[in-house]
Amino acid sequence: MKIKAEYLSQLKMYTIPQILYKQAELLRDRVALRKKCLGRWETVSWKEYLNFVKHVGLGLYSLGIRRGDHVAIIMDNQPEWLFSELGAQAMGAVTLNLFTSSIAKELSVMINRFGAKVVIAQDQEQVDKLLEVRDEIKDVVKVIYVDPTGMSFYKDPWLLSFKELLDLGKELETKEPDLFEKELWKGKKEDINLMMMTSGTTGIPKLAMLKHENFVDMALKWIESAPIEVGDNWISITPPAWIVDQMWGIGVAILSGMVMNFPEMQETLAEDYREIGPSITITSSRFWEDLASKIRVKIDDSGFIKRKFYEWGLKIGTRVTDLESKKKDVPFILRLLKGIFRYIVYRPLLDRVGCLHIKAAVTGGHPISPDVIRFFRSIGLNLKHAYGLTEGCGVFQVQPDDEVKPETVGKPLPRTEIKISEDNEILVKSPSLFVGYYKDEEATKKALENGYLHTGDAGYIDEDGHLIVIGRKEEIMRLKGGEAFSPDFIETRLKFSPYIKEAVVFGEERDYVTGFICIDFGNVGSWAEARMIPYTTYTDLSQQKPVEELILSEVRRINNELPKPMRLKKILLLYKMLDPDDEELTRTGKVRRKFVYQRYIDLVEAMYAGKDEIEVTGKVQYRDGHVGTITTKVRILDVEPIEQ
Amino acid sequence: MRAFRGEPSIYSDAQPAKRQAELKIENLTLSFGGLMALHDVSLEVKNGEFLSIIGPNGAGKTSLLNCITGFYHPQKGRILFNGEDITGLHPHEVTKRGIGRTFQNIELFPGMTVLANIFLARHLYCNYSFAKASFFSRSVKEEEVKHRRIVEEIIDFLEMQPIRKKLVGSLPYGLRKRVELGRALALEPKLLILDEPFAGMTLEEKEDMVRFLREINTRWNQTTILVEHDMAVVMSISERIIVLNFGEKIAEGPPDVIKNHPEVIKAYLGEEA
Repeated sequence: MKIKAEYLSQLKMYTIPQILYKQAELLRDRVALRKKCLGRWETVSWKEYLNFVKHVGLGLYSLGIRRGDHVAIIMDNQPEWLFSELGAQAMGAVTLNLFTSSIAKELSVMINRFGAKVVIAQDQEQVDKLLEVRDEIKDVVKVIYVDPTGMSFYKDPWLLSFKELLDLGKELETKEPDLFEKELWKGKKEDINLMMMTSGTTGIPKLAMLKHENFVDMALKWIESAPIEVGDNWISITPPAWIVDQMWGIGVAILSGMVMNFPEMQETLAEDYREIGPSITITSSRFWEDLASKIRVKIDDSGFIKRKFYEWGLKIGTRVTDLESKKKDVPFILRLLKGIFRYIVYRPLLDRVGCLHIKAAVTGGHPISPDVIRFFRSIGLNLKHAYGLTEGCGVFQVQPDDEVKPETVGKPLPRTEIKISEDNEILVKSPSLFVGYYKDEEATKKALENGYLHTGDAGYIDEDGHLIVIGRKEEIMRLKGGEAFSPDFIETRLKFSPYIKEAVVFGEERDYVTGFICIDFGNVGSWAEARMIPYTTYTDLSQQKPVEELILSEVRRINNELPKPMRLKKILLLYKMLDPDDEELTRTGKVRRKFVYQRYIDLVEAMYAGKDEIEVTGKVQYRDGHVGTITTKVRILDVEPIEQ
Repeated sequence: MRAFRGEPSIYSDAQPAKRQAELKIENLTLSFGGLMALHDVSLEVKNGEFLSIIGPNGAGKTSLLNCITGFYHPQKGRILFNGEDITGLHPHEVTKRGIGRTFQNIELFPGMTVLANIFLARHLYCNYSFAKASFFSRSVKEEEVKHRRIVEEIIDFLEMQPIRKKLVGSLPYGLRKRVELGRALALEPKLLILDEPFAGMTLEEKEDMVRFLREINTRWNQTTILVEHDMAVVMSISERIIVLNFGEKIAEGPPDVIKNHPEVIKAYLGEEA
């Protein structure tokens, strides 16, 4: 069942708590929330949901929270988070979610900046942190804690349990039965209801202000473009201080009638995820990469028959997916086989990892390896890329169902306009754009210009209208001809190859892009052994002809997925691994590009001078500080012809 | 909902009168052949008290516990629990009277899940007949649900949700100790006896355990006897400490008195030559 579009479009004029009120009338006893406690899934119906929100709202009112006041929430994923947030918003207050992992000092800074009057905290741990900085947060009149475990020893009148808050609310309701509705309907859709911390890479995070309208618009976009029905499951796992679960919890779920499910605790997530079997899930690329490798490891441990069937199934699935993505016809026999394997391999496998009911699986954030996407798509999981920002109230780019291209983040959701500025920055215009940064006019002015949001990311739109994000704007380099390219974007993709361990790309103020490649000694070594290619050291292996051919074919394949100006023209296989001991990598494993460039300037120049080969004498520093030299010849490999 | 929990119903719903526990040991003597394990030991545990028994290796601490719980039968002396003489009763009879314990060497069923191990303790409270259980009738189901809830509340209280369905044999040592405490709690004991629950635990596991024990004792008035070697733990949670040495009680009193007691220092550090 889907809620009718006409009905939904009427909801545009209300605030989020008002919409909850309407939905409680429409959906009544249907399940709204589920939380696993004491080993079973306890449910909250839409009517009960509204009641909790009402009592929290009135409870806050009797603590002195009025329209325009601020309430901070330090909570994990659990129903009380939604009750607190919507309860406060129903009374006209503005909420902010903080990370439960923050240290006391961070909490006090954010609470003061936000000007919270009441803080609702998860448990003893959070309360202890607040007590520690109590002198610094003088404006906070009450701290409410949700989990009473261990709290019986605290006798401070500054603290109040969530249960007591609800009791306060119930008390006020019997005294003034109309108060809640009176306050509720005073709300306007243009009011700010929520602030979000933005990931500040420098200094304190900024607070992005969002209004009711933003969430309603974002929710409608999703409902229009994804197959969401009443009663579909969402599992709440990303922290409420991030936009993803906010967008769902107080946006999509409320408008569409989806069920929000809350796992028992972080450690039981995998099991709870499987029990719920969510319909839609949005997570980081890391989640999918981990899941894929977990599946591979488990399959390797399983019996011979299971393993064989899995291998056949995967082979067939990959063939079909490859043909489909190239928009070629799939032969009947392959389609038939895929249909059979669907029931004997794909579905049981997806069931095991809790992904059987997924209609749309979305990954965001960091680029994900195309192999992982291909893997999941070939076992029948609709995995796709998305792109979004807190300032845009969540996701605004998703790959459409029928045209998934691994390297892009897809097309805009409805009512969203994407533009590329002259310096390659991605600009977005949409009704869900945020209002501005709290108490920071200057940053607001910079971020919002002529109604467009400046994302700070660089990208371009390909021939099919798909957006490709290439990285942060400040990391972009330019060729002599002015074409932008992102070394990080290219290197990340090169490193997806199992044979490439490290890559460094050059090309700033040059005619074309070139790169150093460090082979993966383990993988290339076993590849060589399987082909009876003898080798001695890393240096020797890296300069073997067949290895060069192998790496060239990998680079050519990756080149095909890159836009024209970003394609590598020449590469060379470095005779040694980049090493933090030689200061070529940071201790965390990141390439120090400038240092590498200066150190190997002869090699770089040789690639641009059109030489085929260069003799090098390199220095290698051993662990004991002793410096050795390597003398070898390095061949420069042409990846593709250079256009004049 | 989480907000309404953190209060196991075995405690929050229990009437204080039913949880009354007073233990009195009079002149207890236990010997194995010529070896005197306990000699004329007398002690008293008041209702709601947290008593610790300490002493060097071989002092007779575990023997004393085994006498109380019916594993050993003393040659002389009496053990009175709530006024009833329980000297010489079998372990299962002692358990029925409301004394639950954990063991120094962990006595769980390694091939069963955590849930099943704790469930087992509820056997004491099962009222249905064998015949009814064979047909799994409605009343049986209802009772099982009731017990499952109690077990789950204990799992929640001891924060064991992630290991609920794991086999005990696959768990690390510290967690097994926690499971054993869970099983003892599921007995709804009036008197809880813990035999070295902190041995072999990491610092973090110890902190958790102290938290649990403090909570059940101070908040729910659980009468507890603890035998332990870790002095830091004993000094921080005990109300009263009894020191045994070579089967005899050499000192008794609150932690600060025991810390400076000359006899205790002598027993632990030896005498200067």
